[in-house]
Amino acid sequence: MLKGHLDMIVLAALSAGPAHGYAIMEEIKRRSAGAFDLPEGTIYPVLHRLEQAGLLAGRWVTADSGRRRRVYSLTKRGKRELSEQRAVWEQFADAIGSLFKGSRPWQNPA
Amino acid sequence: MAESGVISAYVERLARALDFDPSLSRRVRREVEDHLWEAVSAHPSADELEAERRAVMSFGDPHVVAAQFAVVSLAKQARKVGIGAMVVIAAVFIAMKARLAWYAVMECPTGQMGSLGEIVVSIDRYAFWLSVVVGIAGWTYIGGRPIPATFTPEYRAQLRRFFLVCLTATGSLIVSVISDGVLTSLRLAGTPWSLDALIPFVSIAIEVVCAGGLVAAIRSVTQRLASTGRAMRMG
Repeated sequence: MLKGHLDMIVLAALSAGPAHGYAIMEEIKRRSAGAFDLPEGTIYPVLHRLEQAGLLAGRWVTADSGRRRRVYSLTKRGKRELSEQRAVWEQFADAIGSLFKGSRPWQNPA
Repeated sequence: MAESGVISAYVERLARALDFDPSLSRRVRREVEDHLWEAVSAHPSADELEAERRAVMSFGDPHVVAAQFAVVSLAKQARKVGIGAMVVIAAVFIAMKARLAWYAVMECPTGQMGSLGEIVVSIDRYAFWLSVVVGIAGWTYIGGRPIPATFTPEYRAQLRRFFLVCLTATGSLIVSVISDGVLTSLRLAGTPWSLDALIPFVSIAIEVVCAGGLVAAIRSVTQRLASTGRAMRMG
């Protein structure tokens, strides 16, 4: 189920500001209180795909360690996509919540 | 921090698994290397070797990671072919128009074109515009498709359709370029040779190079498709 929402999770993690792959992963873990602990390699194909789709912009920077790292940020399209996905998700979550609220314990017809 | 070689070996394996796309392989190598060293420094351990092993373990199997990249690479290559086809068609169009403008300026006689010439002109026109329409359709088709997270049968079918469209556009363009060559030969047949006559032949050469370049690009992507497919099966 988590895999189906990876794009939204990554976009949401980047809503706080630009970050590199490792920082995005840590942000996802932190915000989900450890619930989303994915294999770390999973995030890079998603980042590349979102960049290719124009939802993220990437640029190379030099870290304090002297290593080159790629920092990703949301593009205008990415921000729009995130707010659309958020609206859809909230609607879906509300609908599921209402379903659970209305549920009754099983009554044996016999 | 002293290297034990675990990270370097892992990154090397990942880069090899991604060798179906050399530029992607180079980029991923740099990104992943930085990620793994960042993970090691974020969770320092007295045992360096253990820290590196933990970072690599958390990252996942390199073949699985490479397989996830394969679909991104395929989409990128397909889009490049789409853009390349449009650029080539535009270049052929410019070369064609430049040659016609040169004929007008030089008041070049139509030579021995006759009825054969008229037939070839029609073939040329229809073939070129077919390549334009089909090329734009292919480009729009692949450019408008979202890139899926995994290589779904649906996306495979979309790519197959796109390459079929590309091959149709390229075939039509080749027919148009051949027709241009025939027309130029007919038009210049019998006219005395001069340095000026080189211009139409140069424009034809440009068209041939463009069409040849497109064929080579499609061939290269098809070969890459095969190696990408292998990488996905390994994942």
